[in-house]
Amino acid sequence: MATGKEFPSGATGDNTVIGPSILISGKLSGDEDLTVRGRVEGELSLSRTLIVEPSGIVKANVVVKNAIVSGVVVGNISATESVELTQEGRMVGDIRSPRVIIVDGASFRGRVDMGNAVPRPEGEKKTSVVRPALKTTIARPATKPLPPKPVATRKDEDKPAPPPPPAPVLVGEGGKKKVLVKKKK
Amino acid sequence: MANTIIGSSIVIDGEISGDEDLVIQGTVKGKISLKESLFVEASGVVEADIDTQNVEIAGRVTGNIAASDKVELKSDCRVVGDIKAPRILIADGASFKGNVDMDVKER
Repeated sequence: MATGKEFPSGATGDNTVIGPSILISGKLSGDEDLTVRGRVEGELSLSRTLIVEPSGIVKANVVVKNAIVSGVVVGNISATESVELTQEGRMVGDIRSPRVIIVDGASFRGRVDMGNAVPRPEGEKKTSVVRPALKTTIARPATKPLPPKPVATRKDEDKPAPPPPPAPVLVGEGGKKKVLVKKKK
Repeated sequence: MANTIIGSSIVIDGEISGDEDLVIQGTVKGKISLKESLFVEASGVVEADIDTQNVEIAGRVTGNIAASDKVELKSDCRVVGDIKAPRILIADGASFKGNVDMDVKER
């Protein structure tokens, strides 16, 4: 900062911080990153990133580019780039953003609209949604696919194993149509 | 230690209240009430009634100011409104229009 005044030097460049005991009610807009450790109520629109820290509470309709929620948000978030609910994040409201990241531990109730939810034009067979890969390393238990073959005996204590899938080969009166029936989508 | 900063591109239209120092580099309209100090930096624009303990103004303020301790108008500031505080400092170069009330009554 150019001014050598004796203002507190906590001001680090053009970053806006709402401290933990501050309540802002009304409209807030700006073109820089905003970190909320206190409370903001009303309306919030930024062309940059909103960071709600664990002590922060936002009860507002939020329009931003990016939002990272580690605190509490009650209201709708519309982001042009991404919305991330971290492990400590709690949110009630609707999210509208092309990228929505909700990590394990986050609490969320509301709707999610990623916009271009049209089926992929290059003719993908199933409705598996392909999303941009997450950048954050999320320790999530990998959902391992079911083993293709029926596991007859497990050595661990997991007794109530899923019932083995029906045997694919029917030895009997000509399993002629069985395959066709299964292929019906 | 000020941990609340309203950056220079931020515009707030509403009410700000809190128990900590507040630094304003942007624009605030409405009302500000704090239990600590308010700093309006040179780039700050405040169109609000202010009720705090201390105020230091280097930017522009339009509105009435009531401080329980001190109001300081730095040089190059521009203030329009009434000021009410036990201690009021107006530096050389400050621009100010309004009433001053230092509440000089015997108690």
